[in-house]
Order: sequence, then C-alpha cells, then structure tokens
Amino acid sequence: MSFKMILIFCLWVTVLFSQTDWEKWGKANVSYEMTRDSGQRNYSISGDNAGQIFLKSAVVVYWLFISDVDGDNCPFSPTCSSFFLQSVKETNIIQGTFMFADRFTRDMDIFGRMSHYPIARNKHFYDPPSLYTLDESKIKYISAGVAVNK
Amino acid sequence: MKNILLPFLFLTLLQGISYSQDVNLYSKENRKQFADYLYCQKDYLRAVNEYEEVPGLAASDTIRFKIGLAYLKMGDYDSASVNFSQIGSNSFFYNDAQAEFFKSQFLSGNYGSLNTENGNYTSVKQLKSFAYLFDYEPLPSKEIFISPFEGNERGKLSDFYDRKTNPPYKSELTAALLSTIIPGLGKIYTKEYSDGIIAFLVTGLMGYIAYTDFKANHKFREWLFTGLTAFFYGGNIYGSAASAQIYNAQVNFRLSSDMKLFLEEKDYFVPDYEFCK
Repeated sequence: MSFKMILIFCLWVTVLFSQTDWEKWGKANVSYEMTRDSGQRNYSISGDNAGQIFLKSAVVVYWLFISDVDGDNCPFSPTCSSFFLQSVKETNIIQGTFMFADRFTRDMDIFGRMSHYPIARNKHFYDPPSLYTLDESKIKYISAGVAVNK
Repeated sequence: MKNILLPFLFLTLLQGISYSQDVNLYSKENRKQFADYLYCQKDYLRAVNEYEEVPGLAASDTIRFKIGLAYLKMGDYDSASVNFSQIGSNSFFYNDAQAEFFKSQFLSGNYGSLNTENGNYTSVKQLKSFAYLFDYEPLPSKEIFISPFEGNERGKLSDFYDRKTNPPYKSELTAALLSTIIPGLGKIYTKEYSDGIIAFLVTGLMGYIAYTDFKANHKFREWLFTGLTAFFYGGNIYGSAASAQIYNAQVNFRLSSDMKLFLEEKDYFVPDYEFCK
C-alpha cells in the first residue's frame, strides 16, 4: 500500500512541476515580408526651397502614376527617384542631376551589379548618394555582396 | 518487501541529512573557480564580476591579469589598460601585462603611448611600426620600419609598406578627362568595365538618334535627344571621377583589412596564454 502511495506521490510531483511546453514553444509573431523602399515613401510635397519643392512634386507624380503602378522594380536601394531627391538635397540641383545621370547609366548595367554593390535589407543593391558627392570623407566603403542593415 | 522499503528510504534520507556537506558557495576558492569557468566559457562580463568579488583580489596578480584580458576581449580597452598597469614589476605576469597594456593602447588608437622607455619590448616595437601604417606619424624608412620583424613577417610588412607609400590609386581628373574624350573610358580606367561599355553605348545611341533627328529636321525630337545625350555624357564624366574616388577608398579599405587580419592572426604580437586547458 505504502509503495503505491510513494508511486502516486512521485507521479503527482512530476505532473505538478512538469514543463509547460505550450508556453516555451509558443508561436512567435515573426514577419517574413521583405521591406520595400516604395512602402516607406514620403509623399508630402516639401523642400528647403522652390526648386526642391518643384522637384519633389515631379517625383511624387512619377511615384503615384508610374512607379507605384509598375511595382518594386528598381534594383537599387534607395531607388533611382529617391536617389535623385537625396542627391539634390545633399548637394545642389546641377551636381544632383549629374549623380542621377550616372546612377541611371549604372542602372542599365545588368552585368556588373553582383560584383559591385553591397546588399541592402530589402535584397536590393545598396547604393547611397553619399558615395558620389565627390567628398572623400563621406565615402564609407562596403565590400560587394556584404549584407547591410539599411 | 513493502515492510523493508519504507525504513530503507527513511534511513537513506537520514544519512543524507546527517552527512550532508556544508558547502559555502561564496568561498574564495569557489568564486574563483566559477569565475575561471565563466572566463573559459568566454562569458567575460560575468567572469569579471565574479573575479571582482573574490576576497583578497589585490594580492592576486593572476586574477588582475585575467580581468585585464577579459576587458580586452570585450573591447573595453581603457579598463583593460587600467588593470594591466596595476600589475607590479615584481610580478610573474609583468612582461606579459606590459605587452597587453600596449596592445590595449594600440587598439584604442592611442599610438602616442607606444613612444615609451618600455618600447624595448619587441612586441611594442612591432605595434609601433603598425601604428605608422595607421597614419600615426609619417612613415620612417623601410629599413627602420621592418627592423623589428623577422623571417616571413618582413616580406609581409614590406608589402604593406609599399602599398601604403605607393597605393595604386586612380586619378579622378584622369578618369574625368578620359570620359570627356570617349564616354565610358574613365569608368574602364577605374576597372568598372561593364559600366564603361554601357555608358559608351547609351551616350553613343542618344547622340546618334539626335544626329539623325537633326538631319531629318524633327524639331522637338532633335533637342530632346540632344538633351539626353548631354545628360548621359555629363553624368558619365561626373560618375567617372566619383568612381575613381570609390576605387581609391576600396584600395585603402583592402590595405586596412589585410593589416587587421595580419594583426589578428599574429594576435598583436603578444604571447598566447593557456588559462583554459
């Protein structure tokens, strides 16, 4: 009788302190969606001067009627249109236009991309305007193919 | 059977209680042992906390040295330097502590501290040579630079010296001029071959369309494509200069990476300690 009691006691203790697996291995709310540059766009018409406001207006029209309809197709991060806006903001309209023209040409080069650019979080080629302002102090070189948290 | 089991269990329990060891988990030996375990598990932060709690710490230069090493591994170079500098000259670890102190100073970028009377240590001299490569002061002559090193290391250091003194930079002006003469040539000069070819084709195509439009007297299109030609032509000249800058940044980055890899491989010229056999 006492042997059975000991067994029942052991079983009871095991049940009482058993691991609650359903809590330990509970479902985590993880998002597997890739981030999109186009999803983080600021559509407000703003700028430091009249030229920037005009440019932003033109780019917003492009985003609304062409880019957003076309989808997330620019291989770069930031996208070419965002690159143009950021370039003009960082430098001036003339230099920014040159930077955009150079980016546009590089965008057409489908052969050398993989061996040239780091990879942004959204799996696009990371190519910020700061590399092209002709200010050496702003160049932060990152090797090609390296994943960057941008 | 049942009558025996209960007394047996009771006796076992009684014996366990009667002869149980009175363990002081916070004794000096136990804390040190646990700290050593954490150190060998590379749990340096908690190891330091445990070492700091060991009674009579001031008397133990081994613990002080290991605290310094733990801080060094964690990248807290200032705290590491403080601990290494507290180890006296009569200690067994004095020479090693000095070497580790200068390693900490080197890693924190305080290259000036390598100019010291203690610079007689080979490792300090070697670190000082590397400090020159990290733009501490103008480089000395090659002979002086490689003198602290021996054997294969000399060849490697000689290579670093050459890459530092004569980096294979590309001229931004040359790149821009080349692209002015032939679109894309500046990019090819900076080894962006596919970019250069694409720039040549795009600018050439736009120019050709503009030319045929002028010939056909298409009033709007001739100026549209002339503008586009100028857009790509100007962009390519600018981009070639920018490309040369990026190329030069890449040259610096590679030299710096190679030097850091070499230093890590050599563990900054300090000896290896066998605390975790």
